[in-house]
Amino acid sequence: MSLGFRPDLLVDILPELLRGARITLELTIISVALGTLIGLVVGVCRVSHLKILNVPAALYVEVLRGTPLLVQVMIVYYGLPGVGINLGQMPSGILALSLNSGAYVAEIFKAGIKSIKKGQTEASFSLGMTYGQNMRYVILPQAVRNILPALGNEFIALIKDSSLVSVIAIEELLRRGMIVYSRTYNAWTPLLGVAMLYLCMTVPLSRVVAYLERRWEIND
Amino acid sequence: MTNMIDIINVKKSFGDNHVLRDVSLSVRKGEVLVILGPSGSGKSTLIRCINRLESIDGGTIMVEGEDIYSPTSDIHKLRTKVGMVFQQFNLFPHMTVLDNLTLAPTKVKGESKEASERTALALLEKVGLKDRAGAYPHELSGGQQQRVAIARSLAMHPDIMLFDEVTSALDPELVKGVLEIMKDLAQGGMTMLVVTHEMGFAKEVADRVIFMDGGYIIEESAPKDLFENPQNERTKEFLAMIL
Ligand SMILES: Nc1ncnc2c1ncn2[C@@H]1O[C@H](COP(=O)(O)OP(=O)(O)O)[C@@H](O)[C@H]1O
Ligand SMILES: [Mg+2]
Repeated sequence: MSLGFRPDLLVDILPELLRGARITLELTIISVALGTLIGLVVGVCRVSHLKILNVPAALYVEVLRGTPLLVQVMIVYYGLPGVGINLGQMPSGILALSLNSGAYVAEIFKAGIKSIKKGQTEASFSLGMTYGQNMRYVILPQAVRNILPALGNEFIALIKDSSLVSVIAIEELLRRGMIVYSRTYNAWTPLLGVAMLYLCMTVPLSRVVAYLERRWEIND
Repeated sequence: MTNMIDIINVKKSFGDNHVLRDVSLSVRKGEVLVILGPSGSGKSTLIRCINRLESIDGGTIMVEGEDIYSPTSDIHKLRTKVGMVFQQFNLFPHMTVLDNLTLAPTKVKGESKEASERTALALLEKVGLKDRAGAYPHELSGGQQQRVAIARSLAMHPDIMLFDEVTSALDPELVKGVLEIMKDLAQGGMTMLVVTHEMGFAKEVADRVIFMDGGYIIEESAPKDLFENPQNERTKEFLAMIL
């Protein structure tokens, strides 16, 4: 049997790969949602003038961005059970991806918040608003609008990075491809299929990001 | 208590830059005070201290008898009594004109949506922009935006209004509309501190004019006296330059 590209094999395994792609999307969507929430909280802490908030937030970002995601995934899956926390595959994958993404999203929020002119906060304060009211009603709504493209890019990055959780045997897209490989001894076909399906997810998203960026430039 | 604002021996520096060296000033209720001075003389800094947008390094500032830099003062409540209008308008760009006006009254004062909208529409009518209530700031001219900004401050029913070169960023033909509104406010008895280079406004509306330079108030008098008979050399130079 040929070890090269086999269209017949691709057709056969496509449903299996699509099931993997579905898991990849689930993982990514949940992790993006949680990561955005974490990033919002950590990002707001990061720009705070209170040391008790900004120091832990900076540390969080430093650690999560300064260590490989692969190591983080393994710590959550293999390490945490050692201290009595056994989450299982999918929750471990989601936790690791969310925590990691949260660090990057925090930096995005920080930049977004800082991009809003100081005059906005001064106007809020002069009207008697508190720091929290200014953040919630004036700064964040504007910041979110500005960072939408960056958040979209983070989504794309996470789709690709989620392939790393294949090491803890979550049967997402890459893992599915590898399973086919071990069964058929043909690597070329399933991996090409895998790459193609990643593209099918990332390309439409990058179109959306490009659109958001264009709109943002027009509004600026 | 007759003074709305008492500024007593206030000092303020940014690093080595001593912007306010020793400034004392009182403003009575209903008084309109115009602040003149060359660029960088600390005019903005001084009025920004009055609602604590800046910290101070010494001295005391009292608003309606309350020390606003005291750690026990409720700064948010105090700020609702002091409206401020900026050179760059600083409207909230993601909100309609109406929402710009109702945000603080509803969130800070807990006014109902209906009540705050009624007040807002009445104020917009006063500044001639009632028909633009649903517009976004970027859809308005600079002059219109500044009138909205004034209305937004007034929606909090302040006792004092601070104006920091509010016409400096406007095209010449839009200046008049904004000054008219300020004049109306003054005639309505509002206590006002106005940093401006509009000498016509100062002559016509101000009760008192102060001239700042080098971190001090170096001259202070009725507008007529200051313009026609300035005592200080630097005041003379400044007036010669801008008149
Ligand atoms: N936030 C700041 N940080 C450092 N220096 C400042 C700041 N704000 C104002 N200054 C300086 O203080 C001086 C007075 O500024 P300002 O009060 O804006 O003057 P004016 O309004 O009379 O032009 C200027 O030299 C200015 O550069
Ligand atoms: Mg100024």
